[in-house]
Amino acid sequence: MTLCPAITLTDDPPLPDVARLCLSAGRHLLQTGANGRMVHEAVIEIARALGCDSAEVFCQHAAILITIQRGSDSFMQMSKAAEHGVNLRRTQAVRQIISDLVGGKLDCAAAQAAIDCVQETTPSYPVWFVCLATGLACAAFGRLLGADWPSFIPIVLGSAGGQWLRHLLLHRRHNIFVVAGIISFVSATAAGLGARLCGSTHAPIATIAAVLLLVPGVAVLNAQVDILQGKPNLAAARALRVLYLLMFMALGLVLAQTLILPH
Amino acid sequence: MNPDILHILHQAFFGGIAAAGFAILFNCHPRMLPLCFGAGVLALAVRTIGQELGGSLAVASFFAALLLAICNRLSRDTSAARRSVLAVVGVIPMIPGSLAAKVFMSVFAFLRSGQSQGIEATVATWDNLLMLIFTLAAIGTGLALPSLMVVAKVAEEA
Repeated sequence: MTLCPAITLTDDPPLPDVARLCLSAGRHLLQTGANGRMVHEAVIEIARALGCDSAEVFCQHAAILITIQRGSDSFMQMSKAAEHGVNLRRTQAVRQIISDLVGGKLDCAAAQAAIDCVQETTPSYPVWFVCLATGLACAAFGRLLGADWPSFIPIVLGSAGGQWLRHLLLHRRHNIFVVAGIISFVSATAAGLGARLCGSTHAPIATIAAVLLLVPGVAVLNAQVDILQGKPNLAAARALRVLYLLMFMALGLVLAQTLILPH
Repeated sequence: MNPDILHILHQAFFGGIAAAGFAILFNCHPRMLPLCFGAGVLALAVRTIGQELGGSLAVASFFAALLLAICNRLSRDTSAARRSVLAVVGVIPMIPGSLAAKVFMSVFAFLRSGQSQGIEATVATWDNLLMLIFTLAAIGTGLALPSLMVVAKVAEEA
């Protein structure tokens, strides 16, 4: 009798490829507004779908570290994460790719290719439309805060202009905190002056409402969800950035109010 | 019509506008915009009713966020991604951004004028700060509570 060594034939992709896919998906999710738990779940789903026995994830604000294991082999890799933003359609697109991978519609290489070009393939609204929507949202905030009707259009214009400026400055990769301070000053000045010219008696509220586009609401929520779900490091980093963003926003606002509002 | 109902309708409508506007800023899918508007309307309506009934901003915001999160959990839409989008966009109009701005502005004013600002202004700053912290915590807890009650799928399998 001849004894043959046990040979395992498997279609599972190599661990470095699995790790690359896990990190790409996790990075995209983190950068488009997902909380830590969503990143963890995504990485674990991908690793299991591609035949790994276990996956460990350490998700930080600026980096993701994963360790995957299959049989006696294990692989560890880290990836840096870029600036966080919010892009819900891209988050959904990445999650759809993961669902297709888990459902067997995509293999590892196809999923990697889909994730690599998700930034280009995800549709987005025209800039003018986003600016208009942001302006209307801030004006609605103004109404919620008790601003009068004459200040409505100035708030729309001030915050729409601020959003356009943000789009311009962030595309040139300026520092987000400095950009927040500049936009806050410009939006508040435009809205406050406009409100006074339109005969509004609520110019101070108009200045505040016009800068609310800068409040990082999703980051605030994610920080809390992260801390409640046992990821205090990520939550603390998010909270600190929120604090600094709000501080720069308030600086611009105070400066604008000092210049344009009667004392 | 009862003026309070008018106030609730006003707040709910503009809450919906704010939610839909931010949904566009966050590049939400166009098909979801009416749902985002509805989520904002629901959140602001519940919060305003809570405040009309005598609840504080934090308590009213907690129940509004909790109701929104429960509605999302119970929705027939099986896509978790869509549900989380709706929950997040719905509570965005309740984030007390103006309160945060006021707190920082008061702090800057305090740094500029020091103790001459007076005890009342200092107390008002602390009052705003505490209200801000508790309101944010209430919204976050209300939003996360339903998902914390359900055992996570990943943890279940582990």
